[in-house]
Amino acid sequence: MRLSRMGAMFPTRLSFLRSLIRRLAAERAEVTQHMWQMCEDGFGHAVFSVDLGGHTYSLVAVSTDLPEDMRTDRVIATAWDTAYVLFDGVPDASDIDRIAANAPLQEAGRFGPKDLILSRANKSVRLFSHVTERLRAGGQPDADMIRDVGYLMRTTAVYGNGKFGIADRAAYDTRPGLEGPFAAEMLTVWLIRHFTHALAEHVGQGVLDPALKRHLGIGNSTGLGMAPFLVTHPVLLNNWMTARETALARVRALPRIGPHQITRLGTLAQRATAHLAQWNVPDAQHQARIEKLRSDWEKAKPLLAPDLLRKDVPLDHVMEACAGMTVDVQELMVALLIEPFGELVDDLAADMADPYGAFAPPLPDTKALRTRIEADFGWALGADYAAAAQCGQFWYVSEAKMEPRLGLRFSEEGAALESPLDIARRVQAAHADLPAVSEPVSAFLSRHPEHALAVERVGLSARYPYAEIRDNLIAESCLPIDMLRCKLSFFGASKFDPKSDRWTRITLCQGAPLATELDAEADDWWLPVFGS
Amino acid sequence: MAAGVWIVTRSVNEVMTLAAKAARGAGAPPAQAAQFGAAAAVHLGAGREIDPLEQALAALPEGPVILLPLALMRIAEQGQGGHISGTVTDADPALLQSYLEALPYAARLADGGLVELDLSRPSARPRLTRIALPDHLFDDWNRLAARLLVPESEASRLSGAGAGLSDND
Repeated sequence: MRLSRMGAMFPTRLSFLRSLIRRLAAERAEVTQHMWQMCEDGFGHAVFSVDLGGHTYSLVAVSTDLPEDMRTDRVIATAWDTAYVLFDGVPDASDIDRIAANAPLQEAGRFGPKDLILSRANKSVRLFSHVTERLRAGGQPDADMIRDVGYLMRTTAVYGNGKFGIADRAAYDTRPGLEGPFAAEMLTVWLIRHFTHALAEHVGQGVLDPALKRHLGIGNSTGLGMAPFLVTHPVLLNNWMTARETALARVRALPRIGPHQITRLGTLAQRATAHLAQWNVPDAQHQARIEKLRSDWEKAKPLLAPDLLRKDVPLDHVMEACAGMTVDVQELMVALLIEPFGELVDDLAADMADPYGAFAPPLPDTKALRTRIEADFGWALGADYAAAAQCGQFWYVSEAKMEPRLGLRFSEEGAALESPLDIARRVQAAHADLPAVSEPVSAFLSRHPEHALAVERVGLSARYPYAEIRDNLIAESCLPIDMLRCKLSFFGASKFDPKSDRWTRITLCQGAPLATELDAEADDWWLPVFGS
Repeated sequence: MAAGVWIVTRSVNEVMTLAAKAARGAGAPPAQAAQFGAAAAVHLGAGREIDPLEQALAALPEGPVILLPLALMRIAEQGQGGHISGTVTDADPALLQSYLEALPYAARLADGGLVELDLSRPSARPRLTRIALPDHLFDDWNRLAARLLVPESEASRLSGAGAGLSDND
């Protein structure tokens, strides 16, 4: 998987939010308001609970009056409009007091084993004010503003798996509904969205039109902190990609498809057109890319004409015909082709987690190691990693908030403390040091302990074919935004709005069913379109 | 526990990550540091003595953090895909036990340092509960981990995610 393709990915029905919503809908889950203590301006705290898989989970939301000069989405922020904890069970008064005191502190707070997820969100001040003012005046917000902004608040972090003392994922990853990757995080995000609607209606003293409300997702600002995850979790990356590629292979292998599916594919193609038309971003370069995709998509859509889809192995023909088109078109088509075939592919979502860790028994000797490198890492062996173009960037962890960063090797300090995301360079270096006469890998590593990471990654490649991003992640040309888009698309994000090559805003849950809409139709919100 | 007292415990992932960073800060290469982190979490979660962990970090860039993975690899590489056993000598038994339990495949330590591995299938790590990490260990490991941190600079601030954009929109 290359960065350029990862950076063009779209959400699919296997995305984690989609899987979660299907589960909630299957259980006809109900969200209940357990507590609401808010002043008329919307500051205070609230608790919403939901039952899933035989367990009760509660979102504890804390809303504070944030001065404008403190509102920043950057990870270095120290205060936010709202803070959240997903609590295991229903919190009692002491739990709520503790969370209300700690959640606004985020990284500086301390959390315990009943706290599953920690998050925070800032308001879209313009839209939140507009919505509450219109409601207070007895009207509804301007539809164009809802369409263009798409969320009342955006999260700037959603922490899970033990961060700052919250529960380890292992504490709940066998529970029904939370087995999937980031399922607890996605449940939190969906409940935060529910809270933002409730808060706006409380402050506005009115009720939002459900159609407008449904289009109000939850925004998110995501930066470099997310990018290294895909490198440091190769088995997860493999499992996510394997599920997606297997789903695509299954639909491509269908010998024939029925009239209902043909109609459905046409409907989804039209929806994609409408979605692209509503996807606008301030960045001129990315807007131009979207506009090109709109144009290219219109050229690709005839591939989904009913007469073509009535032929044998029709979806394989569609992908074959896409081969010469842009990667943006190809990725949009992949997501679309999978969409109507839930019965065929939804089971794959169950294999997207990583219950064991990297299981790869050692290679026996350096001959086998060399063979494996040359078979699976040929893409890494050719580059001159001493050249500025191939090593111009370095990943590191910043002292400020201990977050991952990307520096310029030849103009910034810190390269000596580089984080080991340079897998391609490491594998090439290990390959270069392999002895002419084969020996046990342990003997090789006893002389070259610095190559252990490369050896480990090569060992994984036989069992996990999608474990590696097949690009040089320290090259001047490496764009972290590509890694972010890949991961966020697996979350279920849409409306990517890159602000630079290293961070983006997105929207989650836009078009997703509201808490009152978890029924049999709840799953149909791929590439949501406002006003449809 | 007295009512209302909040006992500070740490998540397993916190301890594992911190131990791995400490090992890297003390001079371990990244793969060996990660293996030490996983073993350290198992070790502390099982309530074993902390001395072997401290000694292992103090011995870097040599010592058990480097040698234990190699010793286990020597055994494993002889038993491709199946059951294999071998002896690990000169290792602290408790630390060796923790390394074995942290492996992604089944492993058992018998008498005399005899290690039995089953490479035929993956095996989940022990499901640990919370870990009460001693304060001095927490401080020591944080000090070592901090060696990897790069101080902020004007350049990094200007190029950081989100820089230069108003968020009051």
